[in-house]
Amino acid sequence: MLGVLVEKELKSILQSPKFVATFAVSTLLILLSIFIGIQEYETAVAKYETATELVDQHFTEVTSFYQVENKVYRKPSVMQIFVSGVNNDVGSLSRISADRDVKLEQSAYSSDPLFAVFRFIDFTFIVQVVLSLFAILFTYDAINGERESGTLKLALSNAVPRGKYLFAKFIGSWLGLVIPLSIPVLIGLLLVVLFRVPITGTEWMKLGALFGVSLLYFTFFISLGLFVSSMTRRSSVSFLILLVFWINLVLIIPRGASMAAGQLVDVPSVADIEAQKDRYRTDQRQSLNKERSLRWRERFSGMQNLSRAERRAFYNQNRKEWEGEDNDYRTEMDVRVAEYNRQTNEALRNAKLSQERLAFTLSRFSPAAAYQLSAMNLGGTNTSIKTRYEDQMFAFRDNFNAYLSKSQREERAEIRRKAESKGGGRMMMFM
Amino acid sequence: MIEEGHTPADAQVQTEPEAKAESKTEPMLVADNLTKRYEDGTLALNAVSFEVHPGCIYVMLGGNGAGKTTAINIFLNFIEPTEGETRVDGIVTHKEPLKAKAKLAYVSENVMLYPNFTAIQNLDFFAKLGGKKDYSRDDYRDVLLRVGLEEVAHSRRLRGYSKGMRQKCGIAIAILKDAPAILLDEPTSGLDPKSGREFTGLLDDLRSEGKAILMSTHDIFRAKDIADIVGIMDQGNLVMQKSRRELEGENLEQLYISYMAGYMEDAT
Amino acid sequence: MFKLILEKELREIIGTTKFAITFGVCAILILLAFYVGARNYQVSRADYEASVQENLRQMEGLTDWNQIDHRIFLKPQPLASLVSGVSNDIGRTIEVEMRGELRDQGSRFNEDPIFAVFRFLDLEFVFTIVLSLFAILFGYDAINGEKERGTLRLSFANSIPRDQYILGKLVGSFLALVVPLLVPILIGCLLLPILGVPMGSGEWMRLGMIILAGILYFGVFLTLSVFVSAMTERSSSSFLMLLVVWIFAVLIVPRVSVLIAARTVDVPSIDRVDFEKSRYSRQLFSERMSAFRSWAQDNPIGDDHRAFGEKMNEFNKGQDDIYDEKMNLLTEQLNEQRENKSGVQQRLALSIARISPAASFSLAAADLASTSLGLRATYLEAAKAYQVQYSRFMKSKNAGDNRVVISHRMGADEEEPEPIAPAELPVFDYNAPATSETISAALPDLGLLVLFNIIFFFGAFVAFLRYDVR
Repeated sequence: MLGVLVEKELKSILQSPKFVATFAVSTLLILLSIFIGIQEYETAVAKYETATELVDQHFTEVTSFYQVENKVYRKPSVMQIFVSGVNNDVGSLSRISADRDVKLEQSAYSSDPLFAVFRFIDFTFIVQVVLSLFAILFTYDAINGERESGTLKLALSNAVPRGKYLFAKFIGSWLGLVIPLSIPVLIGLLLVVLFRVPITGTEWMKLGALFGVSLLYFTFFISLGLFVSSMTRRSSVSFLILLVFWINLVLIIPRGASMAAGQLVDVPSVADIEAQKDRYRTDQRQSLNKERSLRWRERFSGMQNLSRAERRAFYNQNRKEWEGEDNDYRTEMDVRVAEYNRQTNEALRNAKLSQERLAFTLSRFSPAAAYQLSAMNLGGTNTSIKTRYEDQMFAFRDNFNAYLSKSQREERAEIRRKAESKGGGRMMMFM
Repeated sequence: MIEEGHTPADAQVQTEPEAKAESKTEPMLVADNLTKRYEDGTLALNAVSFEVHPGCIYVMLGGNGAGKTTAINIFLNFIEPTEGETRVDGIVTHKEPLKAKAKLAYVSENVMLYPNFTAIQNLDFFAKLGGKKDYSRDDYRDVLLRVGLEEVAHSRRLRGYSKGMRQKCGIAIAILKDAPAILLDEPTSGLDPKSGREFTGLLDDLRSEGKAILMSTHDIFRAKDIADIVGIMDQGNLVMQKSRRELEGENLEQLYISYMAGYMEDAT
Repeated sequence: MFKLILEKELREIIGTTKFAITFGVCAILILLAFYVGARNYQVSRADYEASVQENLRQMEGLTDWNQIDHRIFLKPQPLASLVSGVSNDIGRTIEVEMRGELRDQGSRFNEDPIFAVFRFLDLEFVFTIVLSLFAILFGYDAINGEKERGTLRLSFANSIPRDQYILGKLVGSFLALVVPLLVPILIGCLLLPILGVPMGSGEWMRLGMIILAGILYFGVFLTLSVFVSAMTERSSSSFLMLLVVWIFAVLIVPRVSVLIAARTVDVPSIDRVDFEKSRYSRQLFSERMSAFRSWAQDNPIGDDHRAFGEKMNEFNKGQDDIYDEKMNLLTEQLNEQRENKSGVQQRLALSIARISPAASFSLAAADLASTSLGLRATYLEAAKAYQVQYSRFMKSKNAGDNRVVISHRMGADEEEPEPIAPAELPVFDYNAPATSETISAALPDLGLLVLFNIIFFFGAFVAFLRYDVR
């Protein structure tokens, strides 16, 4: 019985001109998105490689450690073929230097705003927007359309339990849509293999998971369509209701949620944060200077009764120690300032995180948002991409800076030695 | 007068003496050697000729695909004839369609009308479209009552109407146009027997008002009841044409079947 | 007759539940877009002002103009929150130096990727996506739906000319849908000044043009729908066709066009350009070193340190100028090369994209809101003009020459340096291009929208004249 019903459902879907049209469109789109994704990925890799090569070349070309400008680039990930997420919005590189924080800058969109005008098209987008619309298109009249054409009466005049009938409808339309749509996805994956995109085992697993999530999302819209179709008497009404649902779920709620969260959770602006950090640094520096002059006054007070030569001798004797002391205080202050900066940054990050959490919680009222977020999490192109990279770069920056300042010190000593041996090198110092 | 068309030899069409007597009046609706061949080669009408005089009801009887609707479509200039012509009050329909249509009212099969309009709103629109601008609400009410729609339904949207109620609205629209000729395409489909009887009465009234009425149907009993002349059509041919008097005492049903059967035999 | 059909069309559309629901959704979205836009403007305005203040505050207490870290910021434009364009994608902050290239940094989406996830709900979005769907929803069965209901036969059993009928239908449905939509739009416009968005006459005019563009865009989809409806027998097939057309026009064509252009025209990456620049800069530096060495040999230090220092400063100044000139030349050359390439790429992308009226509308709206691709160029230009002003100012403050400082330091100790007054800094104020300029930039796209309207209108017209009304 179930078999007959499912078979009829499959036939009626597969034979409809609607199916031919939508299948052609979605096949085209899925293949296009994956193909473009591969191309973009390859371009991104090529760009990344040249960029890092250029940095390396820069290292070989510079003659002094003072000329070193280091940049670290974010490496493209294979998953961005399927889920571009915020990949193009977040900066692609960070300068590594002692006098500035690690900060990702130069996002793909900001260096080429042309791409930002109409944004990117990826697999996730197609599933999220286009396929969900198609799911509705096939189910909005599943029940009430049959009522209108009289076939529902005819079918239920046989000994068919309603539950079974509905279940068969569900299975039939699910199979009728999912199986054909899997074909272009599989071809797309084949493309990925043919283009020799290096995909690791875990990435394959993630892709599998992404496909699973996409199916779940698609299933949601099929069920929603069946639900509304069996709640309403006329197919025109159910279509209208579903379209309004779709607009809200796919287009409105996600945007509305992040904007509502932006209004509800107050995140200090970058300017505020900078002001805060700066105030602290200035305070610290002032108190350090004050203490230092106090210290020196104290030190000199011990020499007040001494003669000039004695003073000099005393000074020369203690100079190393005093300067060391000063340096220690200074380093301590630097550490304090760095710690404070870190804390402030973290506070900002936490505020942003709580804003984000609220936004995402609100947006998850819409399955479309839930789908997109999970896809981004799987693809590693979610909002944490920034903090993740920045954390890694922080660690790298500390190592690199330590190395650089050591090398620079050595270089300076070298220059000084050379200059002294040549004589008259004082000017060289400030070059 | 009823002319003999180029019908097949064995499908004898007899002239009707009484109709001859009426021929003092000019015929209102004329189909003259009407032929329609579609692009795919199907012959929808084959040299069909007939006339309908004022105060006369002509019923085209025939199965599905006999060519009844095609003939009506040519009167309305929805399609152009391949050969021959149709005339309304002497006006050739495919040459001056707008002028001809001013003299035609039309009731179609299963019209849905505007589902979001009330009966009154539908009537108002179509009456104005037909050039009748000064009907009042009362006129609409009267005509709707006349076709048998109860007053409570008048201000309801047509979305909730049954097939029969919509059909009554369609008839009301035709009455409101007050045209000298009325074309009815399967008007009784969807009407219950009581409404069918009411409809027959309505047609009687219209006939006595002097309207020329051309109606297509496959309902033999209603045809017999009301027709002044019955023309039986099959596969684009007018196979028989008889007046009411000639039909008296004859079993129209049998005639219908035998003509069609005979014609079919002949065709094979 | 025309009037009658028009009137019927108005009534038929406005009386339906379909209209009530969809109009409700559209009205809410439009109002929301205006409200959110105004709020967004306030927030970014406050942000902007805080940034400017903070930058000046950081300079307080400094004693040397050389120590300042001056930044300028892109002032939020009142209309940018209604049509965000690329305003969230390009950098808003520029660090101003006395010489050298300026670069915009810190795009909004980079700072707050959370907003990049789902993007913003702005007026342009509501128009491109929702209103076009709205138009299709009411136009797809304009002709074939009447046929299915039998009303077309019934109507044409009367003596009405077809041209009047289709004209009445097109004009009627347009009025029935557009006039109601104008209500929330006008309320939204009123919200702007109430919520504190400073709207000058130029802004009002541009906003008016944006709305006009939106209406034209709406008209394109409406006439297209009637056209398709007059080409097809069944309303279900016209709806399907229109939905496919919609998906392509709104979602696919614009995006794909950009990607095609990216494939076709190769633009050198910024990293490559930067690398060239830094290499050249190093080369110039070593040239300068050798120049200095030979100078030092000719000019021994002698006893008068002060006189020597001055002489050296003079030499260095000359060297600075040479460096600046050469570096600027190369920078300009490289930038120009890249800009030319990316200009070709842009033109290609946008001309392909303009196959879709959605792209034409977006581009026109962005031009009018001055958030189009040109925004960054004008911002950078304004910044460059400011740089000249800034460097003149700094020179007047004896700053900008590192070596001078050192020689100061050498002979310092005598007087306590006075703190600088940051308020003296010239003020940077980004002003959007003039209204006439933005409007003329948007004209080609507006023209395209008009053209689309005309084509589809006549398409619908001609198709209907041939339509089989049976």
